[in-house]
Amino acid sequence: MWKVARILSDMESTAPLQDPDEARSLLSVADEAPRRLAAGLRLPTGLHPVLGIAVALQIATAAYGIAQQTAAGLAVLLAGLAVFLLVAAVGLHRFRRINGVRVDGLASHVLLGSGATASVTYLAALAAATWAAFESVWWVVAVAAVVGGAGYAFGAHQWWRAYRHDPAAHASGVSPRMLASLAVLACLGLAVLLVVG
Amino acid sequence: MAELDPLIHAPARLQLVTSLSAVSEAEFSTVRDALDVSDSVMSKHVSALTDAGYLHIRKGSRAGRRTTWIGLTPAGRKALRDHVAALRRLIDVVD
Repeated sequence: MWKVARILSDMESTAPLQDPDEARSLLSVADEAPRRLAAGLRLPTGLHPVLGIAVALQIATAAYGIAQQTAAGLAVLLAGLAVFLLVAAVGLHRFRRINGVRVDGLASHVLLGSGATASVTYLAALAAATWAAFESVWWVVAVAAVVGGAGYAFGAHQWWRAYRHDPAAHASGVSPRMLASLAVLACLGLAVLLVVG
Repeated sequence: MAELDPLIHAPARLQLVTSLSAVSEAEFSTVRDALDVSDSVMSKHVSALTDAGYLHIRKGSRAGRRTTWIGLTPAGRKALRDHVAALRRLIDVVD
């Protein structure tokens, strides 16, 4: 009984620091606890490859849809976007269910490709694929889509490694509320395009 | 200049707060298991930190059962930053 009381007493101790060794010990606790939690987190199986494939599909369908400039092309574009959003949403949901945590930094990198590698590769690949689709050079569309998907997945992988190394510095990102706002804005943008087109 | 914060000075509280700095939100049971403490000890710390405005609590559900999610508030993140800075300064002064 005395042992339990002692443990509880230690846990709630707020005595002033007596020496720098105690401060170092507390700093070590502050550094180690988030790393230990992050070390126990697991990504859903195959998240990066599946994400890469979904992004490749989204780039190819977007390039095709933009180049066609028809209702059918727009439908293909929206279908590719829907597949990507579904894959990303399922991946994030599985991450939360497996680990019992929500990490907004992961959502930002999976859904928005907010890292430098992912965003630069994605934009370059989309531009190349769109140009190729206008020129009807379909093999270039395919290659650009694959490169874009691989770059996006690699960017997410890089972020995950950085997060595991220093979780507190990489945990923050776009909140679910902000993601919902962006989704609403995207829908409004598409609606405007449809009306204007 | 930031001072040591008595609310998160205790090792268990500091572990709880720093663990939560690694995520946006976590299930109560996930953090409890990571810290290897009992439900009652964890509840006590969470209540104290919530009352201080350092944590937010949200009820959710997972696989049909009710769960409690906890996360650091902006005030909690600032308190942690200030506390760690105060600890570092203390070491620097002595060194």
